[in-house]
This record gives sequence, C-alpha cells and structure tokens, in this order.
Amino acid sequence: MMASLVRVEQLDKRFGDVRALDRVSFEVDAGEWIAIMGPSGSGKTTLINILGGLDHPTSGRVIVDGLEIGSLGERELTRFRADKIGFVFQQFHLVPYLTAVENVMLAQYFHSITDEKEAAEALARVGLSDRLSHVPAELSGGEQQRVAIARALINNPKVILADEPTGNLDEANEAVVLKLLRDLHDAGHTILVVTHSQAIGNLADRRIELEHGRLARISAPSLAKAKE
Amino acid sequence: MFPRILWKLLGASRGRLTVALIALTSGAAICSALLNVNLDAERKLTQEFRTLGANVIVAPPAAGGDAGLLDSAVVDRIEGLHIAEIAGAAPYLYVAANSGSQPVILAGTWFDQVATMNSWWKVEGRWVFSRGDHEHCLVGFNAARLLGLAPGSSLQLRSGDRNLALTVAGIVTTGGAEDNQILTNLDSAQSLAGLAGRASLIQVSVAGTASEIEGVTRKLAEALPRLDVRPVRQIAAAQGTILERIRGLIFWTVALILVLSMLAVLASMAALAMERRKDVGLMKALGGTVPRIMRLFLAEAGLLGAAGGLLGFLIGVLLARWTGERIFGVVISARLEVLPVTIALTIGVALAGAFPLRLLGRVRPADILRGE
Repeated sequence: MMASLVRVEQLDKRFGDVRALDRVSFEVDAGEWIAIMGPSGSGKTTLINILGGLDHPTSGRVIVDGLEIGSLGERELTRFRADKIGFVFQQFHLVPYLTAVENVMLAQYFHSITDEKEAAEALARVGLSDRLSHVPAELSGGEQQRVAIARALINNPKVILADEPTGNLDEANEAVVLKLLRDLHDAGHTILVVTHSQAIGNLADRRIELEHGRLARISAPSLAKAKE
Repeated sequence: MFPRILWKLLGASRGRLTVALIALTSGAAICSALLNVNLDAERKLTQEFRTLGANVIVAPPAAGGDAGLLDSAVVDRIEGLHIAEIAGAAPYLYVAANSGSQPVILAGTWFDQVATMNSWWKVEGRWVFSRGDHEHCLVGFNAARLLGLAPGSSLQLRSGDRNLALTVAGIVTTGGAEDNQILTNLDSAQSLAGLAGRASLIQVSVAGTASEIEGVTRKLAEALPRLDVRPVRQIAAAQGTILERIRGLIFWTVALILVLSMLAVLASMAALAMERRKDVGLMKALGGTVPRIMRLFLAEAGLLGAAGGLLGFLIGVLLARWTGERIFGVVISARLEVLPVTIALTIGVALAGAFPLRLLGRVRPADILRGE
C-alpha cells in the first residue's frame, strides 16, 4: 500500500486563547486535488500555513513527504519550503521591483541555482512568454497570478498550496487560473487549494470542510458527480 | 542572480538610499578631510612652529669664567655643522646701559637672523633687517613707554665711559623679555660693553618635532662640548602638546561624525526595513534562509558604504586642500592611504546603520502573508 503524501493527525493550533484548529486529521495521496473549504475564520489559512511550514502546530502531527513538520527547526523548515512546497497566494505576493522572469528565478535562487531559460519556459507554459520583462505593476491580476503559479512550479514541488488563488480575479482570469490548476492536476501534481468558490470545490477530488477549526466533513464531489 | 537582485534593490529604494548615501558621503568627506589634514598637520605645524622663535639655547657653562660669556664665532661653527633642521641662529650680548638716568638692557644681535626666527613679532614702525646696520635699533614696547620713545626718536646710551647713539626704527611687541629691552647690532653692543667678539648666548631655531629638536640638541652638544646646549623645554613640550591635542581633536571629531552619519543611515534604513518586511516574508516563504536574505541587504549597505566612502574621499581631498590653504597657507596634498581607511570606515558605518534591516530576519512569513 502506498503511503500518503500528506498526513495530518490530531492537529491543534492555538493563538493565545483562540483555538484555530481543533484535532484535525486527514490524509492526502500523491496526485490528489484537495479543496479546503469553510466559512471565514474556520482555520483554512492556518491549516495551509502549517502544511507549508510557515507556521508551527501547537500539537498533533503533520507529515509531508515523510517529514514531520513539527520536529523541524527554522533552517530545516526553510529548506522544506524550498524543496517540497509551491505557494500560490490570493494577493499574488510578487516582488514589485523584479520582472516576471526574475520573480520566477527568485524561487530558483533560494532553491538551488537560477536558470533564466527554464524560468522563461515556465512563464511560457502559463501563457506569459511575451511578459517576461514586465514588472508586476505592468501586469493584470490574472497575469500576476499566472506568474505566481509559474514561480510555484519552477522547483518541481511535491505539493502546491494555493490560498484563494482566484479570490482577487475577475471571471475571465478565474477561468484561466482554474484551467491551469486543472492542467497541473492532470499532469499529476498534488494540489491543496483553500477556497470559498463552489466551482473550484467541485473540480477537486475531495473537499475538506472546516468549521470553527474542526473538520466538519470530507466529501468527494467528483465521485458524487460520477454517480449522477 | 545575486547581483541582479542587488541592482534591483538599489533601484527600487533609490529615494531612501540616496538619503543614506548623502549622509555617508558627508561623513566620509569630513573624515577624509580631517585624516588628510591630520597626516599633514605634523609637517605643516612644524613649519609653523619654526616661526615661533628659538627653541634651543647655547650658553656658556654655568660655572664658566669670563663673566659667563662665549665667543660669538660659535655661531659660525654651528652654521658649519650644516644641520638641515636648523632654521636660524643668532648670538645675543646683553649689556647693562643707561639712557639718561634710566637703566636699560641693550641686546646686541644679528637682525637678519632675528627677523627670520621671530617673524611673528609685532613691529610698529619698521624692522631692521641688516646685520651691518649700526645706526638703528628696535625698542621693546615696555622700554619705549618708559623712555618715551617712538619710531624715528633718537636714543643716547651710555655704559661706563662709552656712548652709543641710535635712531629708533621700530617699537617691537613680543610678549617676552624683549619687550623690556633695546635691540641693536651685535657689534655696536660689543663696542659699548668693550666685549669685542663676545656673546651672552646663542639662540637657535630648530624645525621639527620635540624628538627632532632633542636630536639636534644632542648633535650641537657633541660639537660644542665646552658649552651648555639645552632645548627650551616649554616650547618643545608645547609643540608636542599642540600636536597631540590636534590629533585628539581630529580623532574625536571623526568618531562623532561617524556616529552622526550612522544615525542618519539608521533612520533611512529603519524606514526601508518597514517597506521591505513583505519582501522578506515572501523570500522566507519561498525558501530563502535568513543569512542568504541578509547577505543581500548587507551587500547593499556595503556597496552604499563603499560608494559613500569613495565620493567622500574625493570631496574630502578638496576640503582638506581648502582647509590647508585657509589655515596653514599651504596646499595639503591628497594622501592615498586615507582612501582605504575612509572606505573601510564608511562601510563599517553603513553596516552598523543597516541594523534595522538585520532585524528583518525575525519576520515571520505567515504574519506577513496574512497581511499583518
């Protein structure tokens, strides 16, 4: 039996008196597309931050590709993020004074060595071959998010973590980003997406729904659709 | 990629970095100017001290005979030694004389040497420059007041049964014993006293630091074994003290300027650090280690320091030249050894001023990406 790529066991996260995550447990297999859903303040972003090594759990275990995140020091966590995780954020979070290709190369730089040709190819794959030398201010929201996706993919991460990737996009750009995510899924990438969007939730293999920090349910919309 | 990001960082924050660069350049310019002046100050001040009169005295031995006099030809022997540091030497014969019923001290000397060695003396009327001038005299300020003399006055001096008639060329103010004396030609004083070829002492002006003056004193003492050769310690010590104080002043001024520059850089960098929190959070999220990210910022600060140091050095050279001309009346040339010192100091200041950027290492990416 193949081990899960992501395993979350009894995960607790507290911010002072606030319990952001309450004994959450689930597993994700390699190549799965998971939608993490729930109302605002239900702990979705906290969960994805912990999965990506940006935050520490208060208790419980999170294992990604065989590494238990809670046991890693700051330096090891940084290496973990560089090697295993590709982030896509709602606010894009591009470095404003670097061009599109340089933003992608920044991830290469912190991972190992930079390769401008490879970075340009990554941007071409998201349809931005003519925007390489544009700074974020010269790109539309959708284009910025595509740069962020190219950056997330450049180091071949084990897991892509996307936090509301279409939250700041209009309908047309949302469709472009969703198609990209679908293509990535079809190519075998493991994707965990935090979203409020039912449309994205319906595209996922499984939906993990949180309420008040607790795991409310895990459903499989694609299976439901298949049954229909 | 490192130089590429560095270049972009510099371009992105050019406003704040320009402020920091101006602060660094200003500080470096003053430091460079002061260091240039400091290196040249000893030489320049030594030249200045040369004009402050005699700093070595050659006198007959304390227990010597012949009424404590020496042969005035000793000056020729001193000149014959060809010691480069000796700027001038003048024999003095002091004679007790009377002007009417008023007792006065007549000092016979070589006016040409006195003029060279004491150019700072203030003279009302005119100097006497010629060693062969037997008609004129300079009268000390106090003596002139006592005797009611002014430039152009006639003066009759008597010593025993010998008389000397002189015309006052100028009234001299020295702040020393000469203010109470009448200075005339050595031959005239010797004639009045009946002491041909004799002198009370020889005043020697030596250019150099206190240790150089000591060295010349030793050489003279070896060449003139029967005479008492001694430095005027107060003057030599004063020269040393002045140099030390100037060095101290320059050191503390440089230190103060560097601290002020650092504070200005600190203010710019603190603002810059606030602007860069998001970038650092993102870089950490992308797998950037703290040392790797900090290396970027420290390289930026170092580059800024090097640029400020180089610009400051060039401006400092001009400043030193201007200061030299204004204060010493000479051109202070650029000292290349000041360049690496200025650049190193400015880089140090820039790195110290970049302290707020180092604090960015503590930024938690999750907080930044949450928008805090």
